[in-house]
Amino acid sequence: MEIFPALLSVITDPMLLFAIVLAAFVGMIVGATPGLTASAAIAMLLPITFYMSPLFALAFLYVIGKSGRYGGSIAAILFNTPGTAASAATQIDGYPLARAGKAGKAMKVATISSIIGDMMGDILLVIGVGFIASIALKLGPPETFAIYFAAFVVIGSVIGKSIVKGLASALMGILVAMVGLDPISSEERYTFGSFDLSNGIGLVPLMIGVFVLGEVFAQLEERRKTQGETKENDSTQDGNNLTWEEYKPCLPHALRGGFIGAGIGVLPGLGSAIAAFISYGEGKRRAKNPEQWGKGALEGVAAPEAANNAVSGPSMAPLLTLGIPGSTIGAILLGVFLIHGIQVGPTLFLTDKELVYKLFACGMLGIIAYGLIGYFGATQVARLILKIPTNVLYPMIFMTAFVAAYSASGSMFDVTVMTVAGFVGWLMRKHDFNIAAFVISFVLAKGAEETFRQSLLMSDGGALIFVERPIALAFIIIGAGAIAFRVRGVLKDRKLAPGGLGDA
Amino acid sequence: MRTYVEGLVLTAISCVAIWGAWQVPAASPGDTWAGIVPFAAAVALLALSGFLIIGATRQSAGEAQSEPDNGATLEIVGLFIIALIYQQSFRWFGYLVPTAIVAPLILYIFGVRSRIGLALSVVLCPLVFHVIFFVLLGVFPPYGEVFDLLNWIQG
Repeated sequence: MEIFPALLSVITDPMLLFAIVLAAFVGMIVGATPGLTASAAIAMLLPITFYMSPLFALAFLYVIGKSGRYGGSIAAILFNTPGTAASAATQIDGYPLARAGKAGKAMKVATISSIIGDMMGDILLVIGVGFIASIALKLGPPETFAIYFAAFVVIGSVIGKSIVKGLASALMGILVAMVGLDPISSEERYTFGSFDLSNGIGLVPLMIGVFVLGEVFAQLEERRKTQGETKENDSTQDGNNLTWEEYKPCLPHALRGGFIGAGIGVLPGLGSAIAAFISYGEGKRRAKNPEQWGKGALEGVAAPEAANNAVSGPSMAPLLTLGIPGSTIGAILLGVFLIHGIQVGPTLFLTDKELVYKLFACGMLGIIAYGLIGYFGATQVARLILKIPTNVLYPMIFMTAFVAAYSASGSMFDVTVMTVAGFVGWLMRKHDFNIAAFVISFVLAKGAEETFRQSLLMSDGGALIFVERPIALAFIIIGAGAIAFRVRGVLKDRKLAPGGLGDA
Repeated sequence: MRTYVEGLVLTAISCVAIWGAWQVPAASPGDTWAGIVPFAAAVALLALSGFLIIGATRQSAGEAQSEPDNGATLEIVGLFIIALIYQQSFRWFGYLVPTAIVAPLILYIFGVRSRIGLALSVVLCPLVFHVIFFVLLGVFPPYGEVFDLLNWIQG
């Protein structure tokens, strides 16, 4: 019930409302611009939020993340270029619809389905998050470490092309987080005598480097590959309008997609792309017109779009209750909490409950904001994006990355870290390593280490404590199960394509 | 070949990480060793790099085909070197001068050929970024040890 006073409080704050609408617009532009991601925009804007109040900063970035997920569908439907990985599923039916002169209709289905999915995710988050937090309060260090372990393994092994490279990315994230002074004994680790390194590697410069500068490097490479011009698909008058009769068959797919997305969103690391494709597959399986899917079925747009956006809210649950970010956007938001001195975890619901519910309220209003902008102005947004000259945009992003990294703490060392992280991020992408796993593991590593060592102290150095406690054991089994499940999948694929070599 | 090199690079990283973790002094009685997590992570990384190398040796030659590079890698390495010099030059010349030099250079690399546009970027880029970050947001600008244009302008 805390959500209602929070909603009232946000609605009566015109500045906050303005920030939500602005964030919805910015997120949509960023999500719809091929090559730009909501993570990159949030990382770049992160230093600016140092100068805002915590709620203002969190709401602004959170809504950009939500709107960015939706914005991907604009590029997928209108330009045949998915703005985000998740919108690749929307593209399957969205682009054929656009080519048939029904771009406006497809965009409206995508918008309504996104609103349904995102709202379902947020409502489930509001209902469930307090319950999860109350359970999380009862967990001891061994259980919490087991959850961290499961998160590392799931993030590293389930997403990405390669299990080995995914897990290696997660381990590299852990190793980078270990640089600096040990928080318990103050012993130096990986500092090699450098004073700068003894303070550790900052989250903000690392993220700006990996997501922003790394993206600029990737775009420079992309420019050589694609020299073609992006064109928008026009709509006929009939193809622009959407009637209730047309949307009615889409509704069950949107609702199912909402539940699929919400379920996947709670699990750290899986992300909206997996949710969108599962929802698309499930929708097609249950559809009355499966032969139409892939050729321009409106239901084929509704199913992945609802799931893609439904991930957003529930992915905040592990972040807020356990301090485990479920996505790269979550990892960046965790940075905002820490920058403003707010400790994320189960105690957050005791110390800053009002802030949390106000953030949820901002998220819900953000959904309405991007929904309205998208429903009435998606094609105008698309035209605006086509006018953005990318040969000017990326150099500006390049220079913003430097000044933003410096602004975080006025440290030149942070700028060096950002530069190196940018190059490493690009190399990791190029070689199919998983940068999401790298960054999320970097964020999780300190908490995981603390709980691991506390557990060892509790058991006088015995590792059996993780097996003796049933909840801890359950999460370790989940972690091991995730690897086994993925390895099985890879082996199955190898059998289907003889001669292919996975990496498991 | 590519997977093989990736495996070797990971092996080198994990060996350095193991050596680095080994440098962490032993724990005092009743405490846990500060190097336990980095050591465990580094050993796990070494094991994964082993998997990668084994996988690479089993890979058939036909699959090792990599996509054509078109000189993009060289261009990116060049951009990275510019980035390194740019960030280092903040320490020597403050923010304004390096940005005035790098802005047209980066725009040129990304395909901007308009002479007026490039000339404008020399003035506009440092000015806009300076106003947003160092004036409006109140961040203290980096001080150039050799020469600082901002210091000179402000007298």
